[in-house]
Amino acid sequence: MRLADIADPGRSTASKRRPPAAMLALSVLIGVVFMGPFAYVVSRNLDLGTDLGSLLLSQSTWDPLRRSLLLGFVVSASTAVIGTGLAWLTIRTDIWGRGVWRILAPIPLVFPSFVGATALIAGFATGGLVEDLVSPLGITDLPDMKGFRGAWLVLTLFTYPYVYLPVAARMASLPPSLEESARLLGRKPPTVFLTVVLPQVWSAVLAGTMLVFLYTISDFGAVSLLGYSTLAEQIYADQLFDQARSMGLALILGVTALCVVMGERALERRRAQVEVERSHEPLIVPLKGWGIPVLVVVAAFLGNALIGPVAVLGFWAWRGLTTNIDSVGLGVDIGGLLGPALHTAEVGLITAVVAIAVVLPIAWLTGRYRSRIAGAANSMVVAGFALPGVVIALSLVFWAIDAPLIGRWYQTLPLLIVAYVLHFGAQASRAAHVAVETVAESMSDAAATLGANRSRRFFTVELPLMAPGLFAGAGLVMLSTMKELPATLLLAPIGFDTLATEVWAAGERGALAQGAVASLALVAVSSVLTWAVVLRRLDVH
Amino acid sequence: MKTTRIEIHRPFLATLVVLLGFALFATACGDDDGSDDSITLYSGRNEELIQPLVDDFSERTGTSVEVRYGDSAELALLIQTEGDNTPADLFISQSPGALGLLAGEGRLAALGSKLTSSVGQGFAAGHDTWVGLTGRVRVVVYNSDLVDQVDLPTSVLDLVDPEYAGKVGVAPNNGSFQDFVTAMRNELGDDATRDWLVGMAENNSPNYPKNSAIVEAVGRGEVPMGLVNHYYNLRAVEADPSVPSRNHFLPVDDIGSLVIVTAGAVLSSSDSGEAAESLLGFLLSDDAQMTFASQTQEYPLVAGIAPPSDLPSLDGYAAQTIDYDLLGDGLLGTINLIRESGIEQ
Repeated sequence: MRLADIADPGRSTASKRRPPAAMLALSVLIGVVFMGPFAYVVSRNLDLGTDLGSLLLSQSTWDPLRRSLLLGFVVSASTAVIGTGLAWLTIRTDIWGRGVWRILAPIPLVFPSFVGATALIAGFATGGLVEDLVSPLGITDLPDMKGFRGAWLVLTLFTYPYVYLPVAARMASLPPSLEESARLLGRKPPTVFLTVVLPQVWSAVLAGTMLVFLYTISDFGAVSLLGYSTLAEQIYADQLFDQARSMGLALILGVTALCVVMGERALERRRAQVEVERSHEPLIVPLKGWGIPVLVVVAAFLGNALIGPVAVLGFWAWRGLTTNIDSVGLGVDIGGLLGPALHTAEVGLITAVVAIAVVLPIAWLTGRYRSRIAGAANSMVVAGFALPGVVIALSLVFWAIDAPLIGRWYQTLPLLIVAYVLHFGAQASRAAHVAVETVAESMSDAAATLGANRSRRFFTVELPLMAPGLFAGAGLVMLSTMKELPATLLLAPIGFDTLATEVWAAGERGALAQGAVASLALVAVSSVLTWAVVLRRLDVH
Repeated sequence: MKTTRIEIHRPFLATLVVLLGFALFATACGDDDGSDDSITLYSGRNEELIQPLVDDFSERTGTSVEVRYGDSAELALLIQTEGDNTPADLFISQSPGALGLLAGEGRLAALGSKLTSSVGQGFAAGHDTWVGLTGRVRVVVYNSDLVDQVDLPTSVLDLVDPEYAGKVGVAPNNGSFQDFVTAMRNELGDDATRDWLVGMAENNSPNYPKNSAIVEAVGRGEVPMGLVNHYYNLRAVEADPSVPSRNHFLPVDDIGSLVIVTAGAVLSSSDSGEAAESLLGFLLSDDAQMTFASQTQEYPLVAGIAPPSDLPSLDGYAAQTIDYDLLGDGLLGTINLIRESGIEQ
């Protein structure tokens, strides 16, 4: 053993081993498939003869790009703080009702951003519901929710679960020993959090924040409704009649995302190895006198992120159910939502598992072997999340429609799942990385010494250790898939309606009440599934 | 260390295997090879508003119709990307602009003159590539609590006057607005159109993403007026009768009361063109046109069918034949005019 290996034992074993060739080949294959959307964008740019030079020199490109980046960074920062804080409070403190908060905290992710923005506008805009409520009290001057402020608020409220879920999963499996030592040395809980807990969850925070950033720069629904013109909004606005510009901007967005992803990887390479055990319960910090104020803050925040929009939707649903409407398509049809609800659950569950299975080899190779090839594949997987959904869907059309063998699956469920995985693989990937890190190599080595073969080691030692992180990733993919719209409309089998398409269709025909009922059904279905699939696995009890 | 096997993974995986198997099975069963008595429609028009008529057609003719619903612009992109292999035999779009794009690329078949001549002049494409099915009229929606009827404009061109500064909501990125600007270029020329757009920009006309957002904002009193299609407000008022938003119809000869058609087209790649045309013919039959008028509050386009009773008649409407294919640089010119005017804020 070389001297350097002794100084950094975690890394030495990694660099000494060669990754299994079959796994490497698989990773390359997966990376190539995930390159599909990028290759499509490049090929369209070539076909259309986009003048990228003048596009890059134009003020009308830089203004939206600047807005995308500004919004992306600000939303990332606020969700990092909120998601981490909320995870710590609900997992590591004795806050009252934490069982309930844990179920509620990830749910806001399921609101499609256009629903969230519509609810915010209906609530806070001039003449909105909140003004109706408070104007008798003499309050008439509500803050203006348009533009940057509104977009920031909506995206923060509905994307912080990208941070919350992986961080909560990590916190649930941290060994208490370090914290116990710190507290025995007389450190106060805030100091313990900053010096002991935060460094151990840092990679999960970074992973989640990256997802928030990519989601924010790809979002169309919230920014268009709130009038904040980002790059993604321009890509949609020009998609039909100025395809050269739209595709040029999509390329710029994709390259920006790739740069950010690779930057984050460089940052992430320097993190400390984290040890994780499943056997001990994590340390629970008593909040004591802080219990009530902290509870108020948590309740107020989740009130805004979850109960606020649900109240607005509930109001519309109630108004629709109690008003007599005879015009076609304006009424409420609850029974008609049963099929879409089943379809929604079906695609959510299948996509979650497929996505985890697909990204795990890459995560394993980058985490265990520091494989650069797998690292490059991973960048493709992650950056794909920044491309708008329509672009991902059309790229699949482009590659699949007359491809041999694949072509006959066009507009069937398997290919729809592929589209979802291409779009949301990033979420599984970041979570899988965090999960792979939690498996100490010493643990696998010990199992090998005891004579366990590869698959036995994987199923009895490694997978159980990774489970919380993987389930968190599966949960993110599931929630995103359940609200996905553009790929579902273009690629689902004909007649395969989901709750998201119901919400959209109701909105298009002005049926506010039916849209609200379908949105509430989406919230209900995702709450149940999140609890069943993710939260039960995170439970520290 | 306690090596807890994740006890959930077996039943969980079993459920998934069943789900996947079910999905594959469903796929295999649904695999129909586009036989002649089945046609596929891509519809930018809402399911609730057209599926009953499609069912009626299937029942009468025995031709089954598979319908994919979506956003008109995105379905047009889908057809464009699918190319000759598109499963679609026909396409119904809420915006003629999206059809103009496909026509320009040679993706639309010429329709029989019997179809295109059944609608009033100006409601079919110049090269018979699409035919209008129903019409929505551009109107000024206003808040009756905030705007006196006498202060309403008599022409859309008046809206650049300083008295309307900040008062008129627009949706510059919306298909209907773009179609309206294209019609204006057709009718008044690029210079006058540019002047109007710049005037609206200088008036700081508030921006919204789409018609329904403008109608909602006007209803709340956030902005007193807005440029939209007539039918959004009719439905908003029906859903909530207390809303004070009202439609103001401009004179029929004003470009501001352009009729935007929801139109149908048959794809040139279809090998069921005849069946596809017969569906369009059915949607233009007197019965179907009366259903549109009575149930969706839109204007029927076939001569002799009365519009919904509470809407002004289109008699004397100076039909603009907007040939999107012939508009020089096409719709890109419209987009550029809008972008350069500064109306997008």
